[in-house]
Amino acid sequence: MKKIWIWLRNLFCKPAAKIGLGVLVTVGFIAGILAWQGFNAGMAATNTEEFCVSCHTMHQNQEELKETVHWSNRSGVRAQCSDCHVPHDFTDKMARKIQASVEVWSHLTGKIDTPEKFEANRARLAQNEWDRFKANGSKECRTCHDYNSMDFEKMRETSREAMRGAAERNQSCVDCHQGIAHKKPEKTDARNPAFDGLIQAAGNESVKVGGTYFNVYPRELYLDEAMSKVAGKLEVGAPVKVLQEKGDAQQVEVSAWRKSKGFGRVWYGHFAKNITVATLEKAVAQDKQLVKIAESKEDPNTGLIWQKSSATFWIKKGEVVASTDPIWSVAKDSYKNSCSVCHKQPDEAHFDANTWPGLFGGMVGFTSMDKDTQGLVLKYLQNNSSDFKKPSH
Amino acid sequence: MTQNSRRVFLKGLSLATVAALVSPSLLLSRESEAKAAAVTGSGTDWKITGSHWGAIRARVAGGKVVEIKAFEFDKYPTEMIQGIIGLIYSPSRIRYPMVRLDWLKNGHKSDTTQRGDNRFVRVTWDQALDLFYSELERVQTSYGPWAMHTGLVGWRQTGQFHTCGNHMLRAMNMHGHTISTAGDYSTGAGQVILPYVLGSTEVYSQGTSWEVILKESKTVIFWASDPVKNLQVGWNCETHESFAYLEQLKNKIAKKEIRVISIDPVKSKTQNYLGCEKQYVNPLTDVALMMGLAHTLYTEKLHDQQFLDAYTLGFEKFLPYLLGQGADKTAKTPEWAEKICGVKAQQIRELARLMASGRTQLIFGWAVQRQQHGEQPYWMGAVLAAMLGQIGLPGGGISYAHHYSSIGVPSSGAAMPGSFPLNLDPGKKPKYTNTDYKGYSPMIPCARAIDALLEPGKVIDYNGQKVKLPPYKMAIYSGCNQWHRQQDRNRMKKAFHRLETVVAVDYTWTATCRFADIVLPACTQFERNDIDAYGSYSGRGVIAMQKLVDPLFSSKTDFEIFRGLTQRFGRDKEYSRNMDEMQWLAFLYENCRKENGSKFPMPPFKEFWAKGFVLFPAGKPWVRHADFREDAEINALGTPSGFIEIFSRKIASYNYADCPGHPVWMEKSERSHGGPNSKRFPLWMQSAHPDKRLHSQMCDSEPMRATYAIQGREPLFMSPEDARQRGIKHGDLVRVFNDRGQALVGAHVSSDFPKGVVRLQEGAWYGPTGPEIGALDTYGDPNTMTQDIGTSSLAQAISANTCVVEVEKYKGKAPAVTAFGGPTEVMPK
Repeated sequence: MKKIWIWLRNLFCKPAAKIGLGVLVTVGFIAGILAWQGFNAGMAATNTEEFCVSCHTMHQNQEELKETVHWSNRSGVRAQCSDCHVPHDFTDKMARKIQASVEVWSHLTGKIDTPEKFEANRARLAQNEWDRFKANGSKECRTCHDYNSMDFEKMRETSREAMRGAAERNQSCVDCHQGIAHKKPEKTDARNPAFDGLIQAAGNESVKVGGTYFNVYPRELYLDEAMSKVAGKLEVGAPVKVLQEKGDAQQVEVSAWRKSKGFGRVWYGHFAKNITVATLEKAVAQDKQLVKIAESKEDPNTGLIWQKSSATFWIKKGEVVASTDPIWSVAKDSYKNSCSVCHKQPDEAHFDANTWPGLFGGMVGFTSMDKDTQGLVLKYLQNNSSDFKKPSH
Repeated sequence: MTQNSRRVFLKGLSLATVAALVSPSLLLSRESEAKAAAVTGSGTDWKITGSHWGAIRARVAGGKVVEIKAFEFDKYPTEMIQGIIGLIYSPSRIRYPMVRLDWLKNGHKSDTTQRGDNRFVRVTWDQALDLFYSELERVQTSYGPWAMHTGLVGWRQTGQFHTCGNHMLRAMNMHGHTISTAGDYSTGAGQVILPYVLGSTEVYSQGTSWEVILKESKTVIFWASDPVKNLQVGWNCETHESFAYLEQLKNKIAKKEIRVISIDPVKSKTQNYLGCEKQYVNPLTDVALMMGLAHTLYTEKLHDQQFLDAYTLGFEKFLPYLLGQGADKTAKTPEWAEKICGVKAQQIRELARLMASGRTQLIFGWAVQRQQHGEQPYWMGAVLAAMLGQIGLPGGGISYAHHYSSIGVPSSGAAMPGSFPLNLDPGKKPKYTNTDYKGYSPMIPCARAIDALLEPGKVIDYNGQKVKLPPYKMAIYSGCNQWHRQQDRNRMKKAFHRLETVVAVDYTWTATCRFADIVLPACTQFERNDIDAYGSYSGRGVIAMQKLVDPLFSSKTDFEIFRGLTQRFGRDKEYSRNMDEMQWLAFLYENCRKENGSKFPMPPFKEFWAKGFVLFPAGKPWVRHADFREDAEINALGTPSGFIEIFSRKIASYNYADCPGHPVWMEKSERSHGGPNSKRFPLWMQSAHPDKRLHSQMCDSEPMRATYAIQGREPLFMSPEDARQRGIKHGDLVRVFNDRGQALVGAHVSSDFPKGVVRLQEGAWYGPTGPEIGALDTYGDPNTMTQDIGTSSLAQAISANTCVVEVEKYKGKAPAVTAFGGPTEVMPK
């Protein structure tokens, strides 16, 4: 062991005695060139389309790419795998290549060696790439698509608005453009993507204790801070007063109206207006300790008694915003698009809050809105109905 | 329709089709003929497309559509698909942009009493669009938005991209604000009353699946509903899947496994097909019959008090009226009802007992709400169903739409393609932002559009609101035939004298074109590429509508027409989003594909387009209102209370004499069978939806019309007894008339019709002898005789079925039919 060490020390530190320095330098230089060439060739080879799809995991990816404009277009420019998935500058590229060895490992060990396994991992893999693009501001996209070189006037009307805003914010491309080169993974909870923006906005909201906020997505109400006992459901757009925050949970007060007929499970935002804000479990609604009743009034339009009630619950933190504006703006878009397919959509204030459910329920079957979006749009229509606004013509 | 009868029919029609094959070449312009020849050569080509009448495959040879057959999936195609060739090559097609002679001379100051004289001058597209645009400018700047009426669009040609209403309205929205309409002509009363009662419009809602009805119902009542006739057509591309269930129903009736009763004055097509029982009722008196049934249910304790307590409000406020303890002191006994509705008291009792004896499905059509007080039969129907207590049970309860599109066929759940946007794109404003309506209402209940012209500024009640009628000066009708759907032609003539400018966009020379000033030729849906939903409610699939031939004559797609119009104020790129037809189709399709995701896989657009369709698997059987019955608190109805409202405090609070807080029987302004005005005009004229047209669409198809017209006129169906009394024989020319109008029609004597009842199907084209008020209608549009009154202060919908007439054998020399063949083309001096 020691001998080897000494031999090595001699080899590197002792001047060469038998070979001329010039020879050594020349040989070393040539070897260096060859090594660099080889390294570069290796780098380039692992950047080619052939290399990428040589493991058949990636074959499907290429087939998907072939259907897109990034593969075939009128200008004859083609983006291949590495153009998007490998950084273009040296350091990042090295880092990425080292990281990529994990993927080779995955392939060799059979973690994703079949299309089925790939499909099962698609969402995770896509998320990895999206995260990378988000972090670097979609750097690879922008070697070709540069905000500074865009002529907004040549864009389609609708694109123009969106792109100008994105350029101003220097937004990462993948924020909006996903699934452009490969199939977009199916979301397991398949919600209307319009809600994602709201949830994001809610994540950025700095909530002050004592303030009133609005729920951005239908979700659970809990009885306890640990959020283990479900009390019911809080509807989108429902106002809550934030009482305190503990860990991941927020304690809120829900204050609303309910009908005395039945079990009082359905809570409404306004007296005698059927705009749901929460639905409670039967036992919860009947819990006299929890539910406080401030007053009772008869609705002249139905003869039913309505009770002003309040109760405190726990909800998951980070899903409320300070104003209903962003919520209604999402709803308005959905309403205008979905309800003008067959006819001109009526003015929101054309009907009152209690008429909208009947009309909306009668027509919504023609649209392809999912349940949550239906709830959102109906609440938007009710909250902007003739009970609250004059027809805006 | 049986296989046999269809075959016989097709045989007969093939002769007519041959006639149609010969004539088209004479109609084709040289230009389009040359174009077509260049594209297709002399080869033969089968293409797929969709229509209100179903999906079809069409053979195109030498640039002409020469053969049509049903899409293989359609097992019950309607005979009407054989009328499509005649529709494309109809002599009534609008060939060029045209302008009414006097309007071309004098513009908006023209002599409007000449309207309807049918004298038009051919102009170029540029001239026509310039005139159209300058009128928009003039009306917006000299009057404002209250003067511009953009007519409600009804049964446009199918196709989600080219849907004409969206094109017209998007272009209009870019220019300025306008007067719009509320409601529609088909279900005007029903869609307003039912949200108060059952919490939904119901008329356009998915209903309990046919297979559930077939399995669970002991009795099915078709109340003024004729599904076998009306299911031939659909709002989108119709699949005709419902007919498979109707066939099963027919078999069950034959085996006496189910009782099916058709309550109708007339022996309907459905009744003839099913071979079911019939319950005659005097026209317009259904509510009286229902009261008698309710009285029996209550007094014989056959009603479900538990259901009424748990799921309804206000029964106790209705009871005094029913039992004779109310203001009118009249008990609504079967004996009381018999005098009005003509059904024996004993029969009423037996019917009530039958309904209560087991699971009973009530199925209403729309005809009973197209009458004065049309809200009442629907409301009272719901009260009957509530008393029976079966709402929400499989095979029980009430439906108002099993005759419509694919209602009753379970929904697949797949998303259907969207359409060309009707609205402005986000952030866009119209050229004229003026919203000063000068105190007029910006919205008219659609059926009151003529009142607005004749009674400017009149304030009317409408659904709890006040509407001040705007006397608009200019109207634009696109792909809709106002001169078919609106009542009382002679009143319309007077009203149209007050309009300065009327623009009509259509593919065929309807009466609406005849009474317009600027007429623009759109092409038919068979001359453009599009996509459509296959099955409006079943969501069975998406169908490609491949262009069969190029636009005929000088016609253009609505997209091109309105792009040309918006170009005149520099917004054509915004209008089209700089996309062409195929880009739009790919866009709409791919959006739909994205929405359906992996749940309902769809091939990429190119693959879909080449194949022509994508089909989705059948949905699960479903029961209407079952969720409400299961948990009325969480799944509350959309009524003010969330429950079924037998008494509506909200309606009562409006204080309408013609629509009080609970259903009531009210006498009509005129009625046959001993009703008002029946001495002078003893015959009730019903204007049912036609059997061989879709409203007024396809009336211009010559080979199709030849299968039913009598001496070239619309048939007037009447009973042998009424015919005999008047010396009329089947096939005679007769004059049908009342104080409002007169028409020359052909007598079709049929024992399906009882004494005192005649039928003139709506959608027959109006063909007056001249523009003058009272002119004889030479073809037989029923709305020449119907009255233009609202159903009530609540819905203000049409009352077309409240109409009595007299019929006499026509003796003079019959004037030629003027309804078809387009205008008299004149050269300007």
